[in-house]
Amino acid sequence: MKLVTAILKPFVLDDVRAALEKVGVNGLTVAEVSGYGRQKGHTEVYRGAEYQVDLVPKVRVEVLCEAVDAARIVDAIVTAARTGKIGDGKVWVTDVDEIVRVRTGERGADAL
Amino acid sequence: MPGLDGLPVRPGPERRAALAAAYDAWLGRLLPPSPGVALVATGGLGRREPAPRGDLDLMIVHVGQPVRELADAVWYPVWDAGLSLDHAVRTVAEATSVARDDLRVALALLDSRHLAGDPAVSARLLEAARAAWRQRAPQQLAALREQVEARWSGAGELAYLAEPNLKDARGGLRDAQALRAVAVAQVVDVPWAPLRGAYQELLDLRDARQLATGRTGDVLHADEVELAAEALRLPDGDALRYRLAEAGRSVAYALDETWRAVDRWYAGRRRGWRRQRMPVRRPLAQGVVEQEREVVLATTARPADDPVLTLRVAAAAATADLPIARHTLARLSAETAPLPEPWPEEARNLLVTLLGAGEPLVHIWEALDRTGLLGRLLPEWERVRSRPQRSPVHRYTVDRHLVQAAVEAAALRREVSRPDLLLLAALLHDIGKGAGGDHSEVGAELARGLVTRLGLPPGDAATVVTLVRHHLLLVDTATRRDLEDPDTVGRVVEVLDSAELVDLAAALTAADAKATGPAAWTPWRKKLVGALVDRARAVVTGRPLPEPGRPDPDLVDRARAGEVVVEYTGADGAGGERVVAAAAVSGRRHGLLSRVAGSLALHRLDVLGATATTVPGEVPVVVVGCDVQPRYGDLPPLDQLRTDLRAALVGELPLAERLAARDRTYGHADPAPARVLWDGDVVELRAADAPGLLFRVTAALEACGADVRWARVSTLGGDVVDAFGLASVPERSLVAKALADAAG
Repeated sequence: MKLVTAILKPFVLDDVRAALEKVGVNGLTVAEVSGYGRQKGHTEVYRGAEYQVDLVPKVRVEVLCEAVDAARIVDAIVTAARTGKIGDGKVWVTDVDEIVRVRTGERGADAL
Repeated sequence: MPGLDGLPVRPGPERRAALAAAYDAWLGRLLPPSPGVALVATGGLGRREPAPRGDLDLMIVHVGQPVRELADAVWYPVWDAGLSLDHAVRTVAEATSVARDDLRVALALLDSRHLAGDPAVSARLLEAARAAWRQRAPQQLAALREQVEARWSGAGELAYLAEPNLKDARGGLRDAQALRAVAVAQVVDVPWAPLRGAYQELLDLRDARQLATGRTGDVLHADEVELAAEALRLPDGDALRYRLAEAGRSVAYALDETWRAVDRWYAGRRRGWRRQRMPVRRPLAQGVVEQEREVVLATTARPADDPVLTLRVAAAAATADLPIARHTLARLSAETAPLPEPWPEEARNLLVTLLGAGEPLVHIWEALDRTGLLGRLLPEWERVRSRPQRSPVHRYTVDRHLVQAAVEAAALRREVSRPDLLLLAALLHDIGKGAGGDHSEVGAELARGLVTRLGLPPGDAATVVTLVRHHLLLVDTATRRDLEDPDTVGRVVEVLDSAELVDLAAALTAADAKATGPAAWTPWRKKLVGALVDRARAVVTGRPLPEPGRPDPDLVDRARAGEVVVEYTGADGAGGERVVAAAAVSGRRHGLLSRVAGSLALHRLDVLGATATTVPGEVPVVVVGCDVQPRYGDLPPLDQLRTDLRAALVGELPLAERLAARDRTYGHADPAPARVLWDGDVVELRAADAPGLLFRVTAALEACGADVRWARVSTLGGDVVDAFGLASVPERSLVAKALADAAG
């Protein structure tokens, strides 16, 4: 079982949700976060002082899935979220050791 | 990014220029020709000195049209190439506006250089930046000074730090760049030419470090020194440290001089140039006057006829705590005749006055050194200038340490009958370092030659030589031998055979230790050395020595009655405590000392010294007394210690295992092997410190039948010297092997 995590620009969230629905994902978690990458939070046209690093608002989307589905889900997110401009974000996949559905106590793949 | 293959391998000006050219060529092609838009490099690339793995600082300057696509065309290839980029897009007006409020931007703009696009726009930017800098020089320079000093308080001094920040430390790259910025303001003359070499040296060191380690950043870590030295084709890490210290000191000195000149400029502006009064000159000494808070030569002074003048200027400046004017130093350097040999008395006295000035000595000595005057007075100084130390316990290079020792000695003037000899000995005590061999012996010979040249009378010369030869005697003896043994004191007074010598040596020991670093003069060491000095003084003046301590009869009785006694017997005012354990034992191999040492180690108490006395009788009792210091926090409760020791004595507490576990967690592997040295009945072990070491070593000694009367533990940095006085010595080789095994 895998956890797919994505840090994305806030305004792509709706497109990403639609794309995930199409590949059969029916649950996800969204959080509002902030961060920066190589461009230090600056846009292409930046007038402020260089040497400043600014935190920019982003959203984090997390999806649990089976290992075989992970690649398809990553592709769906990347395609839906890409604008081609700096600050598009990153997606990564990590291992999950155990999943439990709280209401029923189901474990593993049944809990997905 | 193309063009990186053809770069020269070795870090240096050629490589920097080639890298800059490669960047220029690549970036130049990224901006299509467009009127009114220019791509400009600032920072390192602007100065044509890009760091091998540093940021690029680029700016797009325009005259007000939309430039988003042009900007994208430049930034995206840079980001895609994986390079780190500081970027901005501004009009000339916007740039100067940001520069007004942000000093870093103002400084960056001064270095701006046209890369591509419309050269007229870049030229306007540079012009505007420089004009703004000059116009607002008073505010900008004040802000720059604040920024420089804030930087120093965070980063320390380049020449003396173990792991200096090459960019931010005092004497580093940013300081040199600040000097250039002051020069651009055109308010004072900045001595840039002599600094060029030092600045290139620092750039070479930064580049070498980044290339050799592959890491970004500007801090030269201890494990990177050798790699960087190799990259620069230097013989070893010490050669690198030497060049680093010299470059850092040159830059720091030039910056200090420049700030003083800026201060004078400020003062002149406040006074107003129209009302130019005659400057007030206050005489300080023959041929030396003070003018505007600086020391200068009087109009009647003639350096060519007055060889003592340099020392007179220096002594006057140090006493008044004023700097010497730059042109005065230049004139002295150019015109002074050498001193006759031996020196006249006035010269000697002035040198002593200078050395006794305390803290002001430091910057006056640095001024004499940087301008070459010191080398003429004391050619021997060459051997220790910027010399790095072997051990990280030393805070300073050798020369700076000697000067600091003189500063500390000046505070101890009143404690000796001949402060002049103390100051000379403090200045010279480590002059023999770096020549190989025992630095005390080498130093003594050098000192002999030097003080003879200074014209000291033979008795005084002999005193100084003795002090230099034996400057480590007191501290080594006090921390590694049993003070109660009359032999110990006897050895000391053989060398220091008068009350005057004892006092001088005591003061020199304190000054040397305080000038080394915080770890070298702990309250425990001070106490030990003080006790030794008192005893030495007593012997030399014919007074009786204090009686050695006897074990408390009450404790002995309780032990005889079968109790295993463990007590704290009071603090000694030096942060330590004394733990006494007594037990009735049968046979020689009782193991009480090692069990006590082990139990104390388990409770995280550092043992500084120990004695083991056997009280004979029908039921022999062994009394072990330990001077301890808790490593963290307070002493543990006595009951716990008692319980543990009792359990250990009957074999119920696996001391060896528990301490071995802790050694694995906290000990460190030391590549240098342990050393065992003999001195009569005393055996010394020099090894790397570890929590269970004393336990293992005492256990090993007991196992091979050695009877330990006393022990001294002296820790400095990660190393420890354990000295043991043995009552009966089984075969030496057995003991040596047992110790080496236990330590290794």
